[in-house]
Amino acid sequence: MIKSIFFTLITLVFFYIIWINNIFAPHERYEMPAQYAKIAEDVKSYAKEGKQLFEQNCQACHSVRYDGVYISSVQANPKLQTLQEKYGKVLPRDVYESVFYEDLMGLKESFGKVPPDLSTIYLVKGKEYLYAFTLEPQKVLPGTSMPPVMTGRPEETAKIVAYLKSVAEPSPEEKSKRVLMGVGTIAYLIVMGVLLWIYKGRLLKRMGLH
Amino acid sequence: MEASRRDLMGLAIGGLGAVGVVGVLYPLVKTLAPSAASLAGATVVVDENSVPEGQVRVVSWKGKPVFVIKLPQGFQWSGKVKEDKNAKLLQGQSLYAMVAVCTHLGCVPLWKPQGEAEYNYPVFHCPCHGGFYSPWGDIIAGPPPRPLFLPPQTLEGGKLIIGEAGFIKELT
Amino acid sequence: MLSRIGRWIDERAHLSELWQSQMVDYKVPKNLTFPYAFGVMAIVAFAIQIISGIFLTMYYQPNIHTAFDSANYTIMKEVPFMWLVRHVHAAGANFFLAIVYLHIFTGIYYNAYKKPRELTWIVGWVIYFVLLVTALTGYLLPWGQLSYWGMVVTAEIPTSIDSAPIIGSLKIGETISILMKGGYEIGQVTIGRFFGLHIWLLPLILLALVSFHLYLVRAAGISNPEGREIDKKKEGVPFHPYITLKEGAYLMGYLAVFFFFVFFYMHHFLPADNYDPADPFKTPAHIAPEWYLLAYYTIFRSIPDKFLGFVAFNLTLVFLLILPLLDFSPIKSARNRPLFFIMFIVLVISSMALTILGTMPPTPTNAMLGLIFTAGLFSFFIALPIISIIEWGWYKAKGGEKQ
Repeated sequence: MIKSIFFTLITLVFFYIIWINNIFAPHERYEMPAQYAKIAEDVKSYAKEGKQLFEQNCQACHSVRYDGVYISSVQANPKLQTLQEKYGKVLPRDVYESVFYEDLMGLKESFGKVPPDLSTIYLVKGKEYLYAFTLEPQKVLPGTSMPPVMTGRPEETAKIVAYLKSVAEPSPEEKSKRVLMGVGTIAYLIVMGVLLWIYKGRLLKRMGLH
Repeated sequence: MEASRRDLMGLAIGGLGAVGVVGVLYPLVKTLAPSAASLAGATVVVDENSVPEGQVRVVSWKGKPVFVIKLPQGFQWSGKVKEDKNAKLLQGQSLYAMVAVCTHLGCVPLWKPQGEAEYNYPVFHCPCHGGFYSPWGDIIAGPPPRPLFLPPQTLEGGKLIIGEAGFIKELT
Repeated sequence: MLSRIGRWIDERAHLSELWQSQMVDYKVPKNLTFPYAFGVMAIVAFAIQIISGIFLTMYYQPNIHTAFDSANYTIMKEVPFMWLVRHVHAAGANFFLAIVYLHIFTGIYYNAYKKPRELTWIVGWVIYFVLLVTALTGYLLPWGQLSYWGMVVTAEIPTSIDSAPIIGSLKIGETISILMKGGYEIGQVTIGRFFGLHIWLLPLILLALVSFHLYLVRAAGISNPEGREIDKKKEGVPFHPYITLKEGAYLMGYLAVFFFFVFFYMHHFLPADNYDPADPFKTPAHIAPEWYLLAYYTIFRSIPDKFLGFVAFNLTLVFLLILPLLDFSPIKSARNRPLFFIMFIVLVISSMALTILGTMPPTPTNAMLGLIFTAGLFSFFIALPIISIIEWGWYKAKGGEKQ
């Protein structure tokens, strides 16, 4: 009995550490004031505004391909529409990069590298980092070629983060649908498990195998 | 008493198991359903001047070939059709679009402005199994079961917009 | 009507006889404990991987330009419910390996590798090894930063052989490394061959091996927590419905935990850094193998000499394989073997500690700790023959064969 408890506990602790919360591994934390964090979280109210802000401030260099948003010079190119008719809103990456090679290389010349596409950046960096970095790039990542476009505009920055979140993550409705689905699945499995267990007990009693 | 309760239990487990099987199959079957992107109502715009008179241009709409036809002024057609459903819908239009898929088995018909075989006036001829359609897509002869489909379309300032409800409201 | 069709089929295929002989008349010990259910769970985990994997191949594109978008746009956003399939496949891989590890440790604890079950153990070891390779090849496919750099590091590991004294000059390691990548860099050739291996060759090998493993469990009989062979006629219980219902209930519990992770906690199974497309010019900050390889990785990393580290972690694998030879004691199951039990705890704690150390930065203290736990891990294997000799003494003193 003690052995079972010991092995169960040590296994649970082990998987808790490596899968859920690794208290030993290094973590980087970035600060974000609570009121702006709330804005960045609230996709429903701010994503649309965030997209406009993105178009004004970021689109000159950054694309959000999964939303069909390309860098400004590409967006102005009539070729884009022809390609989108053929391939759909989201162009295949190789097509995009080869057709608009000059635009991208132009950016590379000014910045040293092609500014990254921001379709999934929210999932990679999280809202705190994005907020802190966009607001003051040099402070978070010294030597970066990202210009301080948004410095001194924390609220607008948070709205842009909300937009990036809306592109990277499923929509709030979709999310609540998934939660419902998850709860249903787990409840089903638990009920089924309990039923099987009771059924087994009764059956074995009848068979005299208890 | 004991036996009946056990049976009920077995029944409940069996029923719940069936629910589980359906629950697994549902998302898997759903993944095979058309994706959001392919259902999205894309529109195609065709300029009037890009189609020569009496000729046909093929454009792609929702992944399907679509004929855009421009009839000459005062176009007269002397053929006979089985029924004139499309002709009625397209009455008075000289620029319109039709889904270029034969309703028999899915081939793309050919435009024959000079006529084909015994029909010596403009027709659409499907080369696969010999279906004949009028310029409005009504059946003249052959195996097709119904006229060619008409996509939703509207005419705005000399531009035909396929995919937007206008003189044709929906795919018919 | 249905029952008539059923009877018609049964008259020809004799399925009910097969069921009776294989499921009902098949008797197993009554005292099987919970850990015995890990075997069934592993089979279910394997089935889940195959089904979800088949659906993923419909939309995934093994092409360095489109792989990332096909995984993160087409699958995650475009096709209905494919996000669920990907979540299931990613979490499923981790759960499969977790269950396999628990299954292995259960086998060690109850000495399920001893006569007459040595072959079952050896086949199981091969399954484990092939499974690791399958996981490794699959990890590259999403073509994210972690996929790419994880493979860069993994492909470098065989080059450790080249720093060996004499055989190093043969450049065997570099040859292996180039063969793994299909060239000097990880590119289209690599992704193509990894895709083929991951979806065809390795799963087919696994399927064959798992079938053989199951057959061997039947042929050699299931082991017993008490460590003695039961007289099946007298004390066994029918596999169905006794075990099927019991382990079925456990299975539902396992699936409930699994789906909790699938729906609510994918942070670890689809890590953040892997949402960044692979960039051969930028290494992500923390690059370490997946958790199921971390124990080997820590052994490799803690030993200062590259070649010795390579030898040490391969030795661990070899020790696992030859476990039936190392442990030749006549007594079975840790329940009857206090010395073995102590060493088993040393093994469990060392391997867990090595795994956790692998997630930590390689500071000198951590390297020291790594060495200590490596020693702990090896002490288990080295102690086995010694314990066996001692236990032969006890066994003889008690009167040998009679027990």
